[in-house]
Amino acid sequence: MKKQRVLALLKMELIKVIREPAFLFIMLLFPAVLTIVFGFAFSDPALGMSFNAMAPGLFAYACIFIIMTVAQSFSDIREQGLLKRLNTTPMTSGDFMGSQVLSNMIIAILQVLIVFLLALPFGFSPSTNIGGLLLAFLLMAIFSLSSVGLGLITATISKSSGTATGLSFIFILPQMFFGTFIPITDSTRLIALTLPSYYATDAISSIFSGASLLSSNILIDFAFISIVSITIVIIGILLFKKYGNK
Amino acid sequence: MFYNFLRVKLNNNKINVKKMDELKTRIKPYEKPENIRYPNNEISIDVRDLKKYFRGKKGYDDVKAVDGISFQVKSGELFGFLGPNGAGKTTTIQMLIGLLKPTDGTALVNSYDIHEDLPNIKELIGVCPQEPAVFKQLSGKENIALFGNLHLMPKDEIKRRTKTLLNILDLARASKRKAKGYSGGMLRQLNLIIALIHDPMILFLDEPTIGMDPRVRRKTWEFIGSLKQVNKTIFLTTHYIEEAEALCDRVAIIDYGELLDIGSPKALIEKYQSNNLEGVFMKITGRRIMEGI
Repeated sequence: MKKQRVLALLKMELIKVIREPAFLFIMLLFPAVLTIVFGFAFSDPALGMSFNAMAPGLFAYACIFIIMTVAQSFSDIREQGLLKRLNTTPMTSGDFMGSQVLSNMIIAILQVLIVFLLALPFGFSPSTNIGGLLLAFLLMAIFSLSSVGLGLITATISKSSGTATGLSFIFILPQMFFGTFIPITDSTRLIALTLPSYYATDAISSIFSGASLLSSNILIDFAFISIVSITIVIIGILLFKKYGNK
Repeated sequence: MFYNFLRVKLNNNKINVKKMDELKTRIKPYEKPENIRYPNNEISIDVRDLKKYFRGKKGYDDVKAVDGISFQVKSGELFGFLGPNGAGKTTTIQMLIGLLKPTDGTALVNSYDIHEDLPNIKELIGVCPQEPAVFKQLSGKENIALFGNLHLMPKDEIKRRTKTLLNILDLARASKRKAKGYSGGMLRQLNLIIALIHDPMILFLDEPTIGMDPRVRRKTWEFIGSLKQVNKTIFLTTHYIEEAEALCDRVAIIDYGELLDIGSPKALIEKYQSNNLEGVFMKITGRRIMEGI
């Protein structure tokens, strides 16, 4: 991997997000709107729901949508012949995938920051220190890897960016309903336990509720998210390289 | 003698030779670092019995897109690769630049084998694909800089060459605008500049002027002609036979994946007793249609 290439591709990816209204909305404005809407809807104590309990789920919720943007973005550049053109340069797949992973990690951290800052006025008060906050941000950055991987898998099996958008919901919906802030019943817990978003939400909830950062619950969640996310992104890269790059 | 012949042809075809000479002086080479400097071989491209068959649908034969072609392109040569639509031109280019794996046969690009030495080949080629492939959300300048960086060019060199190339192709004024708002002709010019930013030794131009208006097309042809004068090897496909006749040192005519003939435009015109290269093209490819080959 060459730093100059990775940085140039990273810059290109971030410019694309800023200049493409659809991407900008899904990546940055959607988490903001979501937090504000949920903040108004659920911050009233009379409802008997605590926004503190809901906020960690919102962090994961925002990152899950990276699946759709990655799937769209890869299908787009393939459709426009850009992937082929990039492949005629000395750029390696490591340079390219490295820049994709980095740009999406940066976006994930920005999303968490937006949700965090907007949740504060609605009464969100995490019982943790700066170390806890940094760990929460790191967790979401690692969790975003699984979204990049699932986005790549979606792009591999999609023939166009339109199909990619639709197919990405195969991975988005289960994680949204069973792994974030929607209450889990005994019957849905089994499904939730197979989803990385469940562990991300669980870990962040523990961190923000003031648990020790070295508690077994957080460490197990952290290990699970890391292993699963890295595995999914590797599978995504390999599948896309073999079948999606045509 | 040949250069005089070329000048006469160019003048007949209204391509401005003086302009070409002037452009030549404006294109200063990019002094590449030691690790990406390559020796210039006498033969730039050596195609050896290259084949590409695509698997046919169930019950149908394989499609022979390229069927055992062999030829050589000399260093510094402007080589025209002509043929009707679907003749196998783009498939051949895609094999030479590593986007398609040949079914059989091989090719050497500056003595590097397309099966084994693709990373080396990618360092020394510039590719201008048939359809403009640029990032639409990025400006013209940003697109060019991206590809310069992918070739690990120093920042100041990217700036210098970007400025020169944008000025030559009259794209400087639009260079800060998003490529999304470019006209078809402007996108094609940007497409060409991206292929040239790293000052490649060998250029693959796949129908670079298709869809351009006559004024921009002529300017682009003059520019391509000037590249030949600074000793670039250019592998060009085009449907503008008249311009290929004026600019190319040699042309190969291909149809149904087979190489039908190869030679200088002058030699081919004499051989087929035709008035121009277009006549030769029609005689060769038309005969195949008439004879049902």
